[in-house]
Parts: sequence; C-alpha cells; structure tokens
Amino acid sequence: MSTRSEALAPTWKEGSVTSWLTTADHKRIGILYIVTSFIFFGAAGVMAMLMRIQLSHANSGFLTKGAYNEVVTMHGTAMVFLFVVPVLAGFGNYLVPLMIGARDMAFPRLNAASYWLFLLGGLVLLSSFLADQGGAQCGWTSYTPCSSEQFSPGHGQDLWILGIHLTGVASILGAINFIVTIHNMRAPGMTWMRIPLFTWAIEAYSVLLVLVLPTIAAAATLLLLDRQAGTTFFAPEDGGPILWQHMFWFFGHPEVYIMVLPAMGIISEVLPVFSRKPIFGYKAVAFSTIGIAFASMLVWAHHMFTIGMPTYLQAFFAATSLAVAVPTSVKIFNWLATLWRGHLIFRAPLMFALGFLGLFTIGGLTGIMLAVFPFDYQAQDSYFVVAHMHYVLFGGTVFGVFAGVYYWFPKITGRMYDERLAQIHFWLLFVGFNLAFLPQHLLGLMGMQRRIYTYTQGGIFEWYNVISSIGALLMGVAMLVFLWNAVASWRSGRRVGPDPWGADTLEWYASSPPAPNNFDSVPYVTSARPLRDLRLRLQERET
Amino acid sequence: MLRKLVAAVSIAVLSAFAAGSAFAAPGGLGPPGPDTPSGEAISRLYWIVLGLCAVVFVLVETALILFIVRFRRRHDTPESAEGPQIHGNTRLEIIWTAIPAIILAALAIFTFTQIPAVQARGVEDEAHLTVRVEAHQFYWEYRYPGGETTVNTLYLPVDEPVELELTGMDVIHSWWVPALTGKMDAIPGRINSLRFVPETTGDFEGKCAELCGVQHAFMPTTVSVLSRDDFESTLAAQQETLALGKATWEGACATCHGLDGQGDVGPSIAGNGTLTNPEALQELLLTGQDTPQFDYYMPPVGRGWPQKQFDALSAYIKSNETLSTAPATTTTGGGG
Repeated sequence: MSTRSEALAPTWKEGSVTSWLTTADHKRIGILYIVTSFIFFGAAGVMAMLMRIQLSHANSGFLTKGAYNEVVTMHGTAMVFLFVVPVLAGFGNYLVPLMIGARDMAFPRLNAASYWLFLLGGLVLLSSFLADQGGAQCGWTSYTPCSSEQFSPGHGQDLWILGIHLTGVASILGAINFIVTIHNMRAPGMTWMRIPLFTWAIEAYSVLLVLVLPTIAAAATLLLLDRQAGTTFFAPEDGGPILWQHMFWFFGHPEVYIMVLPAMGIISEVLPVFSRKPIFGYKAVAFSTIGIAFASMLVWAHHMFTIGMPTYLQAFFAATSLAVAVPTSVKIFNWLATLWRGHLIFRAPLMFALGFLGLFTIGGLTGIMLAVFPFDYQAQDSYFVVAHMHYVLFGGTVFGVFAGVYYWFPKITGRMYDERLAQIHFWLLFVGFNLAFLPQHLLGLMGMQRRIYTYTQGGIFEWYNVISSIGALLMGVAMLVFLWNAVASWRSGRRVGPDPWGADTLEWYASSPPAPNNFDSVPYVTSARPLRDLRLRLQERET
Repeated sequence: MLRKLVAAVSIAVLSAFAAGSAFAAPGGLGPPGPDTPSGEAISRLYWIVLGLCAVVFVLVETALILFIVRFRRRHDTPESAEGPQIHGNTRLEIIWTAIPAIILAALAIFTFTQIPAVQARGVEDEAHLTVRVEAHQFYWEYRYPGGETTVNTLYLPVDEPVELELTGMDVIHSWWVPALTGKMDAIPGRINSLRFVPETTGDFEGKCAELCGVQHAFMPTTVSVLSRDDFESTLAAQQETLALGKATWEGACATCHGLDGQGDVGPSIAGNGTLTNPEALQELLLTGQDTPQFDYYMPPVGRGWPQKQFDALSAYIKSNETLSTAPATTTTGGGG
C-alpha cells in the first residue's frame, strides 16, 4: 500500500505512535477526532450518571452541593465543546474529502493543528476540576455576575474560559478548512446540486462556526479581562449581565444548529441507502439546511424571554423561532417521503436514523411550545427545557452520530460491526433515553427547576426522578455494549469490500479502509449519486 | 418481530405516562394552578399549543411507524433490489412547506393576542400594591410601600393587583411561583416588573429558577395571600424587632450556617466573635469575604438592608443563647 508521499517521509515517521502524532492525513485526523471526542463523551456521560444518582431520590447526599454545580457545568460544556462539535468535525474530516473525490483537505497541516488544539483545549477545560477553589460552577452558560471574580473566586472559571478559547480556535480553523475544501476541491462534474447532503450540512456547519464562534471568543475574553485585569465590561450597573447573555446566545443558539445540521446530513445519507431509493427532494433538503442555518442566527433571544425584554422584541424572537420550524418540518416530511415505498433494510444505521426521526420530532415540537413565550415564562429554566434540549441534542444529534458511526464503520476500519450487538445497543439506548427524558417534561411542569442538586418532594415527583435515573442507567449500559462492539469489531470483525451497503456516494468508491491517497482516479460525476451511476453502467456493460 | 416490539414498547411507555400523569394531576400534564388571571392565560395557551403539537406528533409518528411496517423489505426481495426511483414532487413539497407556515403564523398571532392577559396589562393604571423584591444569595427580601420588610415570605392582600419590582443584589436569580404566574429574572443593575392579581387566599410555594450558586436548590419563597385585614396585621407583626431578626437569621444566615449556627456549606459560627459584635457583623454582611480555608466565599448578604434590619438581627442573636454563646467543642472548621 506504499505510495510516493510515504516513501518521501523520514523513517522516524513510520513508528506506529509517531506516525499518528505527526499525521496530516485527513482520515487519520478524522479518526483521532472521533476517538478523542468519544473519550470525552464517556467522561461527560459519567458526569451525567453522577447527577442522575444524586437526583434519584429526595434529599440525597451523594454529591456535595458545590460538586454538583461543577459537574452540571462541566457535563454541559464538555458535551457541547468536547463531544458533539468535534465528533462532527471528525466525521467531516474523514468523509468530506472522500465524498467530493479529493485526496485530502485543502490545508492538511492546519487540519492537524486544529485537532491538537482541540485536544489541548479539552484537557485544559477538564483541568478546571483541579483548580484550588473548585471547577467552574455557573453552568455551561456561565452567566455573569455568577462567573465574575467576586462570585466565582479561584481559577476554575479562568480554565473554563481558556478551554473555550482553545476549542473555539480549533473549530474556527477546522471550519475555514472545510469551506475552502468544499469550494475548491470537488471532483470533475460535482456541481453544487450534486454534492452529498452530508457535505452540504458540513458547509452550513462551517459557515455558522466562522460567523458565531468569534462572538463567544470575544465574550470569554472580556470576562477574563473583568476577572483578571479589573475591567468592567460586564459590570451590573452598565447592563453587563444582559450583554453577556446576548453575546453568549448569539453564539449559543446557532451552536445548537451547528450540532444538529451535520447529524441531519448523516440522516439524509443513511435513509436513501437503506430504503433503496433516492432522497426525496434533494434540493428541498439542501436548501432547508441553508434556511435553518440562516434563521438560526435570528432567534438567539428566545433563551432570554424572562430577562424583562420589551414585549415587541419577545414577539419578534418568538416569530423567528416559530419560522425555524418551517424548514425543519420540510426536512421531516422529505425524509418520511424517502421511506415511502422503499425496501427498508433494518440494519443499525437505519435503526438509529429512524430513532432520530421519531425523537427529533418530539424535540422540535416542544421547541415550538417554548417559542410561544408566555408558556416559556413557566417552562424557562425548568426540567421541561432540559427534556426539550436532550430530545434535540441526544434523541436528534447523538442518534444521528450513532447512525453515522455504524454506517461508516466498515469504511473506516475495513471491517463490519456486530449487527446483533448493534441492535441491542439501539433498543437499550432508545428505551433508556425515553425513560430518562420523557418524565422530565412532566417534572418541569410540576415546577422542578434546572441545575438543582436535590429536592424535598416525595410522591410522584420523586417517582419521575427514579424513572429518569433508571433510564440514565440503561443508557450507560447501552454505551458499554457499543464500546464492546466497536473495540471487538475493529480488531476482529468480518472484512468487507469497498461498498458493503450498495451506497450512492464517492467515499464507497475508495477501498475500505481507503488508501492514503484516497483514490487513484475518480469517475466523472454526473449526478448526486455517482456510485449508483457507476454500478448501473457496469451492469449495462455486463448484459 | 420488529412490529411487535415497536407496538409493545410504545404501548408500555404511553400507558406508564398516562397512569403517571393521571396520578400527578394537576401537576403532571400542565403548569400548576393557575390561581391568577395571568396564570390562567398561560395555561390556556399551553393547552392550545400542546393540542396542536399533539396532532402533529400523532400524524408524524403514525406515518413513521406505518412506513416502517408497510415498507420493510420482504424476505423474497434481495437487499440490492431498488425501490421506485422517486426524486421528489414539487407540488407536494410546496404544500407541506406552506401548511406548517400557515399554522405557525396563526399560532404566532394567537399568542400575541394573549399578551395583555398574561402581563396583567392595565394593572399599572389601577390602584395597586407595589412590592420591591431583592434577590440575594440565597434568600428573598420583600420591601413594602410602608417601609416594611419581610424575608422569604411575601404577604399579599387577596384580589388586589400587585406589581413586583425585581432586582438582584449579587448575581442573577429568577422569581418563580408556578401556581401564580410565570417566572421573572431578578438581575443586578436592573429592575424588572411582574404583575398579577392573586384571587385565592392561601400559601403558594416558589423558588429560584436561575442557577445562582451553591445553595441554588434551597432558595424557597412563599407567597401568603391573605384578606386585607390579615395582611395588614401580619405585616405589622413581622416588623416587630425580634420577629424581623428571626426571619432574617433563618432566611439569610441559616441557609448556609445552619439553624443553630452549627455550620453547613458555610463554617460553624455559633458564638463567633463577629456574630456577637454588631458593628463587625454589619461590616461583614455588607462586604462579604473570601477566606481560602473555607470551601465557599461569604456573599455580601446584607446589601441594601435598612439599619433596623441589622439591629433586628443583632437583637435576635443576642436573645438566642445557642447563637450568642460558643459551644465548648466547636472549632471553626469548614462545613460541608
């Protein structure tokens, strides 16, 4: 498998560890991203377990009060910045060049720099736990003045800021790399209406990252200056607490779509292949991605309906938030139509994609409820919101990520995963997830506020919490099944050829796993399904 | 097999929640209460949008399950066999873009019509009671027009419009009494207004909804709605020095230091020299303190207190033997 570029590399780069440390190959960087972010996923998942143990019964003393706030903060921050965004970057890294028929990303070394900055940022963020007066304790939103020097003394909050900066820079560099790659390195014949829908999603993801990440970077810098240099950007007397919220959510809401759009892209790849049909309405799905990305930048203040905003502004942000539901429902309907009259093959990628469809719909609908802002006065900062966002980000994004992991597992490893374990994983996760988060809607309506370390109510209130904790436990077991399956199959799964699924897109044209240079040549692209075109041409030649 | 599994799981989950919700009424399925017109307007809106979403939910999930069952690959169909190659249908897609847009626009307009009721518009023009709410780590101070102060319990006369003016004295808090109306943030440097008309006498439990620090979970408040006569007499009784001092101790101090000053997240302070020295105590309460040997900082809990409240607290401490004399075995170690 040696190629010219490998032959030119110095010999010390051939060691199995150093070759990974020095790699600039987009596939290896993609694998590093995915594996690293899954390790952080495990860490943040353990934090979630700790919280659910603490909340499994009234007046529990499992975690101390300060520790609970640290765990609540770090669970949210790590899931967003260390798992979802980077795991999607990992998929993008591995797949985008393959999907568009390129040999690598536009800037391979910059790509490596992004990964190492992300890893460093993750370690810095987690080191916040070790700070002298405890880790950051003000939630992943780190509202001021809670996060100011006076109310969060010690360096936990400073390490949180530094971690956000490092992972943010990593994401911006990665996003620029994706944009340049997608715009300039597509195979001959691959026009914008022929690029795979996952690549469309990564394009939208990257543009959003470039537009909004600088805002959180600026906000975090100002907060750091307030804490360490005595400036007063977020001083209460000048409206600082509200300024922070605007800056945070101007980033924070598009961030939700940064986390959801690529998962939607994965769904748009998986559904057609396992229905044996083309995607229903390619253009509608592609343009709704752009529509969601655009609208997502106009809705941020719906996180702030209870700050005492003028009513006309609340009405504006309610209207824009409801408007996002239009392109989103277009996607749902197009996906359903893709299934219609297909020959559904219930392998793990399709199971998780269908799980995404069912669960994301619930998260989307509760999103509509929350956009109706008088109801938000009751639901804001309650467990109703916790349930809503987990239906979007776990039922949606994480189920999408697992669909992608199983779908591309044979491509990345050259081996097939164990289908039986994957089905067990799906059902455990699906049941566990709903047990964990459905009751939280009801808890929120009963008045359980977010981020509390304990409660005193018994009865049905406590029972809902018990059910939720049991669900979380099932999710944990499901993850262990997945881990076992991934490790065992990577080592000794059945070997597969380039295209085990009969798929549509160019990554399946490369060998499994692909050669370092990806392709020796790429067929001229004549539609959005170049591989199917190739299969048909071969069949014609045979007959 | 798959069909049976899906059916079994959905039936089990749905019936579990139906049973649970029936138990929990009225708390499980909708916002609690409502005991004010504003709360009623919110609940009405909730049930309407819930109904709308339920219809969409049933339609989408039914289609999904139906397609899963109906269009699964039959055993006699090879895996490579393709379904019909349908690339889209512009008319259909326009229809299912337009219908949600129309429904959502209608929902938005209906929501806007409910705003005056939710915000109790018009109350500001009528004669009404204005109470200032000062949120602290980790208690609520209520200041009434006559200069009265209560801690953690808000007394209101029934059937009289009230306007709360909320502000934060340290970090952001959020005042939430679910049975009365929606929440409103109490933000430092800013005064937010919340209006409603309590129509039922009784006690209504509330809490802080915005993460505000280590004792966020224990920042309860009670709204006690009384007849006009009871309101006046109770409020007056609360202004008596020892009563105010006791309420202040229990609300502001005991949350972190324990009811007997024995220590909790804050250190043990019973009999502490600062506690029994009114000037030093007032100084500490106004500035707060961050002592490295303790797990948590002392917030400036006394910000905004009238002098009579400092005096009342000191008087109460002096009157309470457990607090004013040091227990023999106590050390000033960090609690927790």
